[in-house]
Amino acid sequence: MTTFFAPTVDWAYLAPLVVVLGAGVVGVLVEAFVPASARRATQLALALVALVAAIVLVGTLWTDVTDQGYVDVLGGALRLTVTTLGIQAVVLVLALVAVLVVADRSADGLDAFAPTAAAVPGSPYEELARRKGLVQTEVFPLTMFAVGGMMIFGATIDLLTMFVALEVLSLPLYVLTASARRRRLLSQEAALKYFLLGAFASALFLFGTALLYGATGSVNLEAIAEALAQGGAGGPTAGMTGMVVVAVLLLLAGVLFKVGAVPFHVWTPDVYQGAPTPVTGFMAACTKAAAFGALVQVALYVGTGLQAGAPDTFRALEVALCVVAVASMVVGTVVALPQTDIKRVLGYSAIAHTGFVLVAVLGLLGRPTPEAGVDALGAVVFYVLAYGLATIGAFAVVTLVRESDGARDGVVLGEATQIRQWSGLGRRSPWLAGLFALFLLSMAGIPLTAGFIAKFGAFRAGVDGGFAWLAVVGVLASAVAVFFYVRIVVIMFFADAPADDDAAPRPDGDALVPDVPVRAVRPRAPVLVALVLCALGVIGLGVFPAPVLNLLG
Amino acid sequence: MSTGEDVLFWVLAPLMVLAALGLLFARKAVHAAVCVVFVMISLAVMYIAQDAPFLGVVQIVVYTGAVMMLFLFVLMLVGVDASDSLVETIRGQRWIGVLLGLGLGAVLGGVVAQATFPPAVGLASPDEENPVTLARVLFGDYVFAMEVVGVLLVTAAVAALVLTHRRSLEPRVGQKETADAKVAALPSGGRLTPLPAPGVYARNNAMDTPALDASGRPIPESVSRILRIRGQERSATAILAAEHEVLADHEPTRHRDRRDDDAHPDRVTRTTDEEA
Amino acid sequence: MELTHYVVLSCILFAIGATTVLLRRNAIIVFMGVELMLNAANLAFVTFARMHGDPHGQVIAFFVMTVAAAEVVVGLAIIVAIFRTRRTASVDDANLLKN
Repeated sequence: MTTFFAPTVDWAYLAPLVVVLGAGVVGVLVEAFVPASARRATQLALALVALVAAIVLVGTLWTDVTDQGYVDVLGGALRLTVTTLGIQAVVLVLALVAVLVVADRSADGLDAFAPTAAAVPGSPYEELARRKGLVQTEVFPLTMFAVGGMMIFGATIDLLTMFVALEVLSLPLYVLTASARRRRLLSQEAALKYFLLGAFASALFLFGTALLYGATGSVNLEAIAEALAQGGAGGPTAGMTGMVVVAVLLLLAGVLFKVGAVPFHVWTPDVYQGAPTPVTGFMAACTKAAAFGALVQVALYVGTGLQAGAPDTFRALEVALCVVAVASMVVGTVVALPQTDIKRVLGYSAIAHTGFVLVAVLGLLGRPTPEAGVDALGAVVFYVLAYGLATIGAFAVVTLVRESDGARDGVVLGEATQIRQWSGLGRRSPWLAGLFALFLLSMAGIPLTAGFIAKFGAFRAGVDGGFAWLAVVGVLASAVAVFFYVRIVVIMFFADAPADDDAAPRPDGDALVPDVPVRAVRPRAPVLVALVLCALGVIGLGVFPAPVLNLLG
Repeated sequence: MSTGEDVLFWVLAPLMVLAALGLLFARKAVHAAVCVVFVMISLAVMYIAQDAPFLGVVQIVVYTGAVMMLFLFVLMLVGVDASDSLVETIRGQRWIGVLLGLGLGAVLGGVVAQATFPPAVGLASPDEENPVTLARVLFGDYVFAMEVVGVLLVTAAVAALVLTHRRSLEPRVGQKETADAKVAALPSGGRLTPLPAPGVYARNNAMDTPALDASGRPIPESVSRILRIRGQERSATAILAAEHEVLADHEPTRHRDRRDDDAHPDRVTRTTDEEA
Repeated sequence: MELTHYVVLSCILFAIGATTVLLRRNAIIVFMGVELMLNAANLAFVTFARMHGDPHGQVIAFFVMTVAAAEVVVGLAIIVAIFRTRRTASVDDANLLKN
């Protein structure tokens, strides 16, 4: 019996991840041992400190990784390149801002989460919990675990680690979706839908991995790429092309679900609407960043292998991704037009943005060699960063626009998510409406915002990869999208506040109800800092994108 | 692959497919759960037959023994009689679902059946036990994934608590607390004993007639408060007077009316048998 | 060559599991369909491990079991929370928005 040699662990490269996951574990201990009065402050401080520390650690690793090209940790469990490290950094930065929004209690000192998610909605127990001032502080460690999972998901080339990371990032999100303070029924239903469809997609991903393992004998993407490259008559995958095709499709199906691309987008509007708004912002920004990191890895390695070994299959793969990209852009823009709920509009626009990033991914696939695709990789990372900042900022504003009971300092009720309720907001709260307009314009891709640079980079990467027609479709879809973004801006600034007798039927079937007065809550510290950071990021990246673009190659 | 394994496969596989179809078509959720348990145990047998004894045992212990039992527990707890739809997962027609399923099965099965696989190498090794081989791989190549799965399990535990654990928010009121509260309420007019029951008479034991105390007075609390408020309480005097009349009818000599007009108007004297 | 039979069986089980997810409305049965899909993938992994003589496949199947257990915990917690709500039923949105 040979002796067992334990693998050497490069702690320096694992440090950011260890800090984040460690903060989650310590958070669980805080739940157990810290008295209730100090719990929330401790958890928030722990989360913020951990995220800042992780960002700093990623910064220290940057030059190292750029010099070495790539660094393999623990035999490929993590492969740190400029792209994957960039994805990790993007996830951390967006998570920092998202945690600030999660911690927000601007609306009458109440946060967006139910006092206890285990209470039956509308029961006396829930009322008692609210009066006793219970707070669901487990939100913070769960968020930390999700962030840790996202950091691994976007940075690994081992399909098993990718599957485990997918579950690590998804499970806390399912729970967080179910813990909204208001509209608990909708929240719970959204969580169930997200969970069942997410589990289904994970199972598809896993079966694809199984078939690839059968075809190539490994679950490491690099080894799979080599095996595929030798494909054809003599290689290891001889006679198994059908299986390889099906396997790759299943694999992509799993990742495309997380990214929210058509036809796996069905969950996005419902889950975005039902989840507590800070969690929606977190999901929309960070999950997308991590999932695109994973998609890029899979596409890069499998694409390279197929390109060398089975060009026909590679062509078919490209066609399939093109169809997905076009469908996402079209569905995202067209179905967003008649929507009346602001969270659903942002959900459909997320689908459209997925399509735009897929243009960059296809641009990557269209290059002759992976090395030539560096700018496409940088475009993907920049896009998810720009989109993430705008999204978290937009959802932060949505948490602040509330229905009230009319009195000047009256009780603040739930969020006013109908678009027509936002009319006249520009006059009552110019700063808030201005910020929201900024974020919407960034998503629309107006010049001088980060969104414009991001779209420009993505489409140029697509053109350079031989997909000029796709970039044209993207520009057209963007133009249509500008319409519904600008429409909201116009409603905010140039329409009057809804009159009392101007009642319209609610889309969820309620009878005609007179409009409830809408009020924008004054943002307090956490969400104010988050809004300022997002705004600075969006404008900064729009006006001075060069430093970040150079870092990303 | 030996003939023994062949027989095993061809006996188990059709049964497994039938059980899986049982999951798809079962009316009651418990039947579906039992079908899945059958599939999982058969899978465990197949793992053992395929040079994976450790995995076979873990399949039975963890998957069937823990996971499926958890399913059955939750089914019993909340959903054993719920056989209709709760939530629409994907809005679509049934036939699209069936077609997609059949299509998926056909595509996958076809693609795999056509594939030419290399000859099987097998994993039975005389040098090392199966668990030791697995341990090497687990702690060597996949140590990172193992640690991350640890985090996953912590997440699962926290998530389950968040969603289902309801702490008691009020101090628990047990028997001692209730008794103490009753004794403390005595000075302000509380009572320790249960209320007296309504009266039982020779020809009447209805709820609206009061009982009589030791001195013959009717007790108001023995009749329900609502009947008292509504004025639907029946007079005990009237009932007893009716009894007197019946006795007088049947035994006129024995019955002697002893009613004393100076006494309390509600007081009812008992008639005694004067004839020894 | 007979190992193909195991893989075909796993494909059939996977397809039946997927059909269950797409067709059935009861959340618990849908989730059992997902478990069936994961088990089918496990069978494929074990078979391919035997085929390649590579224990990695078995270790992967082991990981999948652990992950599935964690997923079941969270999924059933969500389902329990929803069933509790539905049982005590007749709660409408207006009631919840007032708070």
